[in-house]
Amino acid sequence: MRVAKLSWSPQAGLSSTGDEPQADLVLYFGARPVLAEGGCHQALREAFPGAVVVGCSTGGQSLGLEVEEDGAVGAALRFAGTRVRLATENAIERGASHACGRRLGAALAAPDLAGVLVLSDGLHVNGSALAAGITERLGPGVPVSGGLAGDGAAFAATLVGAGEAAPAERRVAAIGFYGPSVRFGHGSAGGWRRFGPERRITQADGPVLHELDGAPALDLYERYLGDEAQGLPGSALLFPLRIWNPARPGHELVRTVLGVDKAARSMTFAGDMPAGWRAQLMRGGVDGLVSGAAEAARAAAQRCEGAAGDGLALLVSCIGRRLLMGQRTAEEIEAVAAQFPPGQPILGFYSYGELSPLAASGHCELHNQTMTVTLLREAA
Amino acid sequence: MGDVEAKMERLFARQLARATGPDGGVDIRALARMVRSSYEEAERDRLRTDRAMDLMAEELEGANVELERLLQDISVQNLRFEAALGNMPHGLAMLDAAERVLVVNARLGEMLGLPDGAVVPGTTLAEMVAAACAHGFCPGQEAEEATRDIRRSLLSGSAAEIERMAGRRMLLLSSRRMEGSGCVLLVQDITERRAQEARIAHLAQHDVLTGLPNRASFLARIDQALARAQRGEGFALLCLDLDRFKQVNDTLGHPIGDLLLTEVTARLRATLRETDMVARLGGDEFAIIQDLRRQPPDTVALARRIVEVVSAPYLINGHRIVVGTSIGIALAPADGAAADTLLKAADLALYRAKADGRGAWRFFEPAMDARMQERRATEIALRDALEHRNFTLLYQPLLDVGTLRVSGFEALLRWRQPDGTLSLPATFIPLAEETGLIVQIGDWVLREACRAALAWPGQMSVAVNVSSVQFRQPRFVDQVRDALAESGLAPSRLELEVTETIMLQDSAVVVAQLNRLRALGVRIAMDDFGTGYSSLSYLRSFPFDTIKIDRSFVRDLDARGDARAIVGAIVGLGQSLGMRTTAEGVETEAELAGLRRVGCTDAQGFLFSHPIPPEDVPDFLASTASAFPAAAE
Repeated sequence: MRVAKLSWSPQAGLSSTGDEPQADLVLYFGARPVLAEGGCHQALREAFPGAVVVGCSTGGQSLGLEVEEDGAVGAALRFAGTRVRLATENAIERGASHACGRRLGAALAAPDLAGVLVLSDGLHVNGSALAAGITERLGPGVPVSGGLAGDGAAFAATLVGAGEAAPAERRVAAIGFYGPSVRFGHGSAGGWRRFGPERRITQADGPVLHELDGAPALDLYERYLGDEAQGLPGSALLFPLRIWNPARPGHELVRTVLGVDKAARSMTFAGDMPAGWRAQLMRGGVDGLVSGAAEAARAAAQRCEGAAGDGLALLVSCIGRRLLMGQRTAEEIEAVAAQFPPGQPILGFYSYGELSPLAASGHCELHNQTMTVTLLREAA
Repeated sequence: MGDVEAKMERLFARQLARATGPDGGVDIRALARMVRSSYEEAERDRLRTDRAMDLMAEELEGANVELERLLQDISVQNLRFEAALGNMPHGLAMLDAAERVLVVNARLGEMLGLPDGAVVPGTTLAEMVAAACAHGFCPGQEAEEATRDIRRSLLSGSAAEIERMAGRRMLLLSSRRMEGSGCVLLVQDITERRAQEARIAHLAQHDVLTGLPNRASFLARIDQALARAQRGEGFALLCLDLDRFKQVNDTLGHPIGDLLLTEVTARLRATLRETDMVARLGGDEFAIIQDLRRQPPDTVALARRIVEVVSAPYLINGHRIVVGTSIGIALAPADGAAADTLLKAADLALYRAKADGRGAWRFFEPAMDARMQERRATEIALRDALEHRNFTLLYQPLLDVGTLRVSGFEALLRWRQPDGTLSLPATFIPLAEETGLIVQIGDWVLREACRAALAWPGQMSVAVNVSSVQFRQPRFVDQVRDALAESGLAPSRLELEVTETIMLQDSAVVVAQLNRLRALGVRIAMDDFGTGYSSLSYLRSFPFDTIKIDRSFVRDLDARGDARAIVGAIVGLGQSLGMRTTAEGVETEAELAGLRRVGCTDAQGFLFSHPIPPEDVPDFLASTASAFPAAAE
């Protein structure tokens, strides 16, 4: 497997570390305003005519150790013995996310399907339902990872480009990897610390959280954010919510805010917020988040042991982490890189939600506020 | 170099790298912006952390207050729980899965007869049972066995409840599973309940007054005896009742009557063999099963002995009481194969014995049943006669002995049979009295007589016979008032004839009833005077208007001097008490002459007229003036 690093900007156009146009798959990530023009997607399709080209908008992207906010970065992958296939769903409605997931699963299902990478719209798709739909169709044996597209701190529009289709909203792209030699290592960790009393979700409707302990959820966030409440919904990312089913302690999820309704005093999260579940605020420090990123990378590396070559480390990290870490964001990428051999190609973006299998069950789940690492390699 | 310093150095290195252009020159302004921005980030993070910590402390404080309140609530709840446990009537122990006591109330120890503190949290079931067994729990059973029993039947959930003795108390043990594990053991003292149940069971089968088996249990015993009789072990069923018992109740009161029944019971018990059985069927009715398996089974001898012992005088609360008994006997299995037919046969025999004279015994004969059927048919016919107006009244005139003028008529009841013949009262009145039909018949007679009398001239009166049963019923005075009001007859023209049997009843009640009748304005006559036991005393207790001299004295007036003396005495008595005297059954001129001689005021009899239908009354009245011209003088 060979990997060429790509970067693109409206001014400079495309530059590549490799020199051959032969690639099976091209992945790219860029700022929403940049991708919206469509030039990047088009340039990549022209440069790699035989490749499946897939990318999405972000809350910052990185190629190597630096996080960029302008332009776009990417990677061209050429496999030795692995096939890839693209499935897309367009014009998705939030309520149809589960069905969409099932259709994608069905489109990719095959006996030698070894893993699936998903890039999804970040605002109009219920990530939990999408993941559940795909896994329902494919079963827990096929690892599914990826993430939801981002839009910086704007939360206005998220774009996904796939194959012939230029980047657009309400799109989900899923890439299937087939064959016996491909290896799909994955790991996901947060590094956030729980904080404050345990609360109970007393009123919720799907991903819309109305009340915690009988009081409006937005009141709680506004109190904790103080002046920073003006930055809602983005600033709510500073206090993710850890939720779990009291009947199944230990199976906990972290949820992040996508939007708020000040009139209704409710908050919309990236996944379901089941009433009756417990909830606890979380807060992070740079050191904790960096440790979490290292943990995710270690897990991905462990699952890929025995595969030769560099392959590609695909990082999907939450926009909330970046918001908190500021200029020190690079430290978590350094921590991930430190888990791999020197020279490991690393491509990543800051998302509105991460998709990765749960370590315990193998079921793909929507995560928030995590660093999710997918290590793609081919066996010798 | 410390960890923090290393990180800050790396950050600055990155900032420096970013501010360094391709030519190696450093953009100081950009570097300063980045450095300032990273200070701001750190400061914002610090402020955010401070704020979060303050708020969290506030929240935790609130949560703590809430917890304290809950603890307080729980402690109050605990006190209530302990009060409830301490005051509940049941003994209670909560056991955990290892059969250790978690909670126990004092009542449990009391019930098991244990000293205070013998069972405390931590005590095992086995220890508790062992201590209880040492104090009389599960007598005759080893502690280990008792524990096993309880474990098997209660803790395993196989039995809902078990009963165990503790000393002389009966305890009911039950258990309920607790949510999670363990169970609640409940102990109830059911000694009283069991005793009560035994009492109720006894009451259901026995007569309260005498303690003898009652009718229901006696019927069951007959059934058992009948089952044996099928195997050839026959028995005799004797039914008896007390003669004149009702009078004892009426005159001396129920408490004395009850004592008498108790005494009779004692005598009967003393008379019977152990294998025989006596029961009280109700009122003054008793029944006996005589076992005929042992020889000699002499039922007649038993009956005779019973009549003897029951008839012997009783001395109760200073009253000397004499009652008799009559006995009906049925033999099983010959006279019936079921308890009720056998009892009925003995009853019929009893009825016959009473009819034949008191102090008698009779064996059942199939003919008795036929006679009973006949009586029943008569009763039905009587009801039918009432409904279809098949009764009629004849009127026999009463004449003034001095003037021989008609002073009134006595109404006499007849029952018109389908063949046109008229039955005399003696053939149906006893049955009418027995069945209560007399009340309706008597009411009809009163109305009919009053209506008829209204058509008669002048102050002519009508005399109506009143049955003692009719007289006794509370509405009788109202019936008389209604009959008078309905007909418009002047009360003074109605004379009610009562017999001595009325006076045998509670005299105060009778006199009160007589006074109410008198208050209506009607006249009262004492009928059949001289045939009873103590007629004279009745005359003292109520001022009758008329004394009617029984026909038996009148008939002998001519022939026997004692009869003449008696009639003379009665008439004299009447004169001195201001009562009229009427002689019944006057058939000859000589009798009339005799009556006139002693000063009797009125007379009736065939000498003057047979009873006549109402339509003949006007003709009779018209003819009397010529028939008895002497009367005109």
